[in-house]
Amino acid sequence: MTLADTSSRAGTVFKSLAAAAGVVLGAYLVWGLRSLIVPVAVGGLVAYICRPVVARLERSRVPRGVAIALLLFVFVLGALFIVNRIRAVMPSDTGALELRIRALYTLNERYQALMGLDRSLTRGNRIYRWVYGDLDPLVDRVRQLLALTPEEHAQFVASRPRGARGAPAAGPDRLVEYHRANVDTLEQRARTALAEPATRSTVRPPGAPPPTSVGQTPLAALGDIVSTWIISPLVFLFLLRDTGEIKRGLLRAVPNRLFEPALNVLADLDRALGDYMRGLFLECCLLGVTVGLFLTIIGVPLRWTIAIGIFTGASNVVPYMGFAAALLSGLAYALLAEDIRPLLPMVSSENFAIWVIVAVALAELLKNVVYEPVVLGGAVNLHPLVVVIGVLGGATLFGPVGMLLAIPTITVVKVLVSSTARQLKAYGLI
Amino acid sequence: MFGPVPDTAVAEKRRSLVDFLKQVTLFEDLSRRDLRRLARIVHERDYHDSEYICQEGQPGAALFVVRRGLVEVVRRGSSSTEVPLAMLEPPASFEESAATGTESVRWFSARARGPVSLLALGKSDLDALSVNFPPLANKVLMKLAGIMAIRFQILLDAQYLKESGEHPEATP
Repeated sequence: MTLADTSSRAGTVFKSLAAAAGVVLGAYLVWGLRSLIVPVAVGGLVAYICRPVVARLERSRVPRGVAIALLLFVFVLGALFIVNRIRAVMPSDTGALELRIRALYTLNERYQALMGLDRSLTRGNRIYRWVYGDLDPLVDRVRQLLALTPEEHAQFVASRPRGARGAPAAGPDRLVEYHRANVDTLEQRARTALAEPATRSTVRPPGAPPPTSVGQTPLAALGDIVSTWIISPLVFLFLLRDTGEIKRGLLRAVPNRLFEPALNVLADLDRALGDYMRGLFLECCLLGVTVGLFLTIIGVPLRWTIAIGIFTGASNVVPYMGFAAALLSGLAYALLAEDIRPLLPMVSSENFAIWVIVAVALAELLKNVVYEPVVLGGAVNLHPLVVVIGVLGGATLFGPVGMLLAIPTITVVKVLVSSTARQLKAYGLI
Repeated sequence: MFGPVPDTAVAEKRRSLVDFLKQVTLFEDLSRRDLRRLARIVHERDYHDSEYICQEGQPGAALFVVRRGLVEVVRRGSSSTEVPLAMLEPPASFEESAATGTESVRWFSARARGPVSLLALGKSDLDALSVNFPPLANKVLMKLAGIMAIRFQILLDAQYLKESGEHPEATP
């Protein structure tokens, strides 16, 4: 073995060790800074989406700084408008209590009707006998969420209109009747729960205080969120202000023989991410409009279909979440709705929930069969199993925002690997 | 103390880059504003003596402008020896076809003769320019087309002269 061979082998071993150490250090940093990854990525993605807008303004002879300031101004205006709209539709304290009473009453009524339950709430039809083991605890949990605490009960009673000398108002008060019926149902369920094994039901008797969670105060939690997410607008501003310095800085670090392959890989990444963003935006808009249209046809009022459509479209940035959002919000409306005006004669208040499921399923089908292949096309081209595992992995590691970023991340990694291999081969480097 | 604020090193560097770009034939029709915009996207590369800038048989992804030093254009001959074709000096440009995305492989190699500084404009940079600033990209592409047409004409003339030299009786 010559000295040159030994030196070459030592060099290879050193490079391999350095690469392995780099990978370990990178993984350690990613894990250590994982709370910052998501805000940085969100800021970066929003800046990426806004870049064409800034470029368009710049083309119209608006200086870049002014264009960014204009964009920020529009964002702040939009945020204020949304906050105002949310505040306008948010019910007051009493309104929220009334809403919960109505929802609980409707839930009990529809559940009893669907399952054919008797007064003891323990015997029902065949469907009930099949599913009660799974469904009863679930419905009990929803009941617990909607049930009033003793303080809320007192607040509700005090809010009801009273006649002369503090006597209750003359005439029936529908909400008070609903509330009484709810209390009866909850008591009945509590009695049943005492007679059943502990695992069967999780119901809490009416008036019992809700379980308290030990942990941070809401203010401390908000402080944590703000301190972590403050980096997001900073990243957004810096990336939007950048006029190519970052790309040029990256390429400057690349050796000359890798310059052209790196240029092509970056172009491929930019194209893939751009295609994905544009396709996803269009798909979200189409899904939101379709869900809104279908829900209008089955009788949901227009102002609610617009809200559900926007919510569905926005949720669709996470795979399969648009479907879940449409279904949950549609069913929530079906639970609360007392009068509906469907355009189809076969829709009634009894089968309304089923029609909501049909409408949402049809919209989802349309999305999968028409919108996704046409609009998103080959922009992502990932196997559904990869999508599911990616989304679940993102959720496990980084929570809900991890789900949001899972697919763009997988897309970037996929393009990075395939494009790098293609370029290295084309330039005879491997 | 109350005089004009001194320029930063970055601004100074960018101004000198803009001044240089103005001398390049490819960009001579651009306004100062366009040149400043272009200066933001070109890549500055340094090569040492004998280092290959681009190699024959590889695909092209960027056009290059010689800023400092000399670049030798060579081509492999029949016995695999390199035949020198031309020596380029500032502000010459080469590999224009790569920037237009013709996806052809290179028929020549370019090598640094001594330390060389180049400016590179990638095809992807030109694509981005077409999306964000179409009039500017249009001016650059028109000039590129013009330069390529002239080179093609020179090549045809050279070929014609060569053939007429080989068969003098066939020329009119």
